[in-house]
Amino acid sequence: MIADRIIEHGTLSTDGDRASVEVRMPWYRALPGSCIAGATLAIDGVEAPAESLRWRMNGREFTFGELVDATDEWWFPSDSAVLSGDVAVATEAAEHEVSVQLTLYIPYIIIGDGETLHIEERDTKSMPARKAVAA
Amino acid sequence: MTQLGTPVQGVTLYSFTRAFHGREIDLEGLIRRVAAEGYGPGLEIIGFSSFRGFPEVDDRFAGEFRDLVAETGLVTTSLAVNADIGIHRDRLLTQDELIEYMRRQIEAAAKLGFPIARVQISLTPDSMEQLAPIAEQYGVTLALEVHADQYASHPRILALRDRYEQVGSPFLGFTMDWGATVTGFAPSLLEAYRRRGASDELLAKVVDLWNAFYEQGPPADQAEHGQRFGAFIGLAAQNGRPDLGIDFGINGTGLFGPARVDDWLEIMPWIRHVHGKFFGIDERGEEPSVPVRDLVRLLVEQGYSGAISSEYEGWHWNNWESPFDIIAAEQAVQRSAAEATGSRMITDAAEARRILDTHLGKAVQA
Repeated sequence: MIADRIIEHGTLSTDGDRASVEVRMPWYRALPGSCIAGATLAIDGVEAPAESLRWRMNGREFTFGELVDATDEWWFPSDSAVLSGDVAVATEAAEHEVSVQLTLYIPYIIIGDGETLHIEERDTKSMPARKAVAA
Repeated sequence: MTQLGTPVQGVTLYSFTRAFHGREIDLEGLIRRVAAEGYGPGLEIIGFSSFRGFPEVDDRFAGEFRDLVAETGLVTTSLAVNADIGIHRDRLLTQDELIEYMRRQIEAAAKLGFPIARVQISLTPDSMEQLAPIAEQYGVTLALEVHADQYASHPRILALRDRYEQVGSPFLGFTMDWGATVTGFAPSLLEAYRRRGASDELLAKVVDLWNAFYEQGPPADQAEHGQRFGAFIGLAAQNGRPDLGIDFGINGTGLFGPARVDDWLEIMPWIRHVHGKFFGIDERGEEPSVPVRDLVRLLVEQGYSGAISSEYEGWHWNNWESPFDIIAAEQAVQRSAAEATGSRMITDAAEARRILDTHLGKAVQA
């Protein structure tokens, strides 16, 4: 379901050893933070360590551990979230291959004995990197 | 003899997911376009898709929304709500939490002016019974959606129907989803697979497998459903496209339900709302895999005068055609089918309001 839209074109940003990219939801309805169960971020084949990943939505930044209990913070389907992690980007290269995988729980679909459906979607796109401007 | 029904034409904004998600149009723009291009008067919305912050709805927003609906001459039919039982990753909601979770959404439906809340199969007969007085308190009818891979005569649906009968609340009913009674694997999805490089030989086998399941009728239970799902995965793997297996399985079993149209008679008196699920329109102007004409005839002959929300689901895979044109064409089929049965679809807003009041009012007196 619209997984080809996960990575927003032209949003790769680098700030020293960290990189970030805007991501869109591959689903049709808002999901709470608790259902955003995991992500990977790789630039040019180099994956950011899981513990370095951060998720920003609604003006707040979360670790994936913090998202587990975030049942009141909703990811709206027309909003971008920002996924960032420790991965160095060589700014001299014109194009970078960005790869994102998302694991989402679909909280209203119970597929078996107390088990909630989860989906894993992946997207890969090429884009230049821009240097992050201090906020 | 039952008096012929006059269903109310309408649409769910879910049909336009690709455009809304793609930020081509916002909620207000979509509502205005639905009105201007005549997809109404019935308007159905999924709370969690369209309303930021749902199920919290503040008074100001509710007022603005109601003003917009009034200004555009649309009629709110159903607010689709969700039973997010798995919202905590490590456990399911307790029964008390679930009832409160649903109560907030029923309250939102009332506040936004929707007479029906569409609920889903994860609610058990016990939950529906417990929700009946809450529905009554807010004046919102709960219409549980019968969606593939379930169907009207599925044991879980019959258990709900029997409980409705026992409880006797006019605020409990069903939403009929046409995806439970499909007659073929949607050609537009086959075209999408072709564009992803699937061979005609493989796609012919997919069609044959689905047709064999259609001949057998809908799966008797979850085990048989699982076997069919597995058969699609196996077929894809045997033919060198394991990457398509889950997609074949999800769509072949979860979107294209193989029950017969008259299966709906099992729950007909409890049908309060309809999702006119469909997947595409062919060069003859007909829906090639959903028997829209037979379904409309059944509803009209059974005296159904509730709303039919056209629910276009082809947007998942069809990124080459405008959903707006496709929905207009499907609604033309519905109107033509109603006329061929000696009745008509209601397209005037004032008439739609009267008809829907009577439809739900009749339920209240039943």
